Amino acid sequence: MISDSEIDLEEILGRSINPDYGAVVAFIGVVRADPGVLGMEVEAYDEAALEELKRIKEEAIARFGLSFVDVVHRKGRLLLGEVIVAVVCASSHRKEAFQACEYVIDELKRRVPMWKKELTEEGGRWVKGDA
Amino acid sequence: MRIKIRAFASFREILGKEMMVEIESGSNVSDLINHLCEIKPDLRRALYSDTGELRDYFIIMLNRRRLNMPEDLGAALSDNDEVAIFPPVAGG
Repeated sequence: MISDSEIDLEEILGRSINPDYGAVVAFIGVVRADPGVLGMEVEAYDEAALEELKRIKEEAIARFGLSFVDVVHRKGRLLLGEVIVAVVCASSHRKEAFQACEYVIDELKRRVPMWKKELTEEGGRWVKGDA
Repeated sequence: MRIKIRAFASFREILGKEMMVEIESGSNVSDLINHLCEIKPDLRRALYSDTGELRDYFIIMLNRRRLNMPEDLGAALSDNDEVAIFPPVAGG
């Protein structure tokens, strides 16, 4: 999902802890305090982004036999240290959970129509995606 | 026919978030781009190099399906299509 309010990590992780899954792996992306950066603005093409996220999750389930996968991405204005994205994958064993988590975040960065603008004192600069 | 234009990130700063444009029936994606460049000259500078070649630093979606550029410049448009234009994605 795409959220314009703070991501509740406890809630997502809570849902992923289950006696049926032996391993839970999470990737948490955070607004980094690079020199001159005061915060981050995240923009999304909501409808297309949600469709692509759904496809990526389905691919991860099919490829790695996941029992649970959830992705929450923030949009709007974020402060330094706030969570931009959380990916949580649960599987019977750790190997598949690690692989799936990496797959989901890599595909998200490559395919999901969202953009980040680093906010600086001079205004802002769009983070470059791969052409 | 009427086409809904949606723009994101640096392209939103040029085109605005959303607008409806009226173009001739039978137009394709290339016709639409030309039309938009006429309305918003800054778009031409974003899409084309100084030598007039189409840059590869933009993506177009037609009804939320990504087009391949420049192969799909000739893709036909229909009334009420949604065309989105944006730079390469950079989420996560």
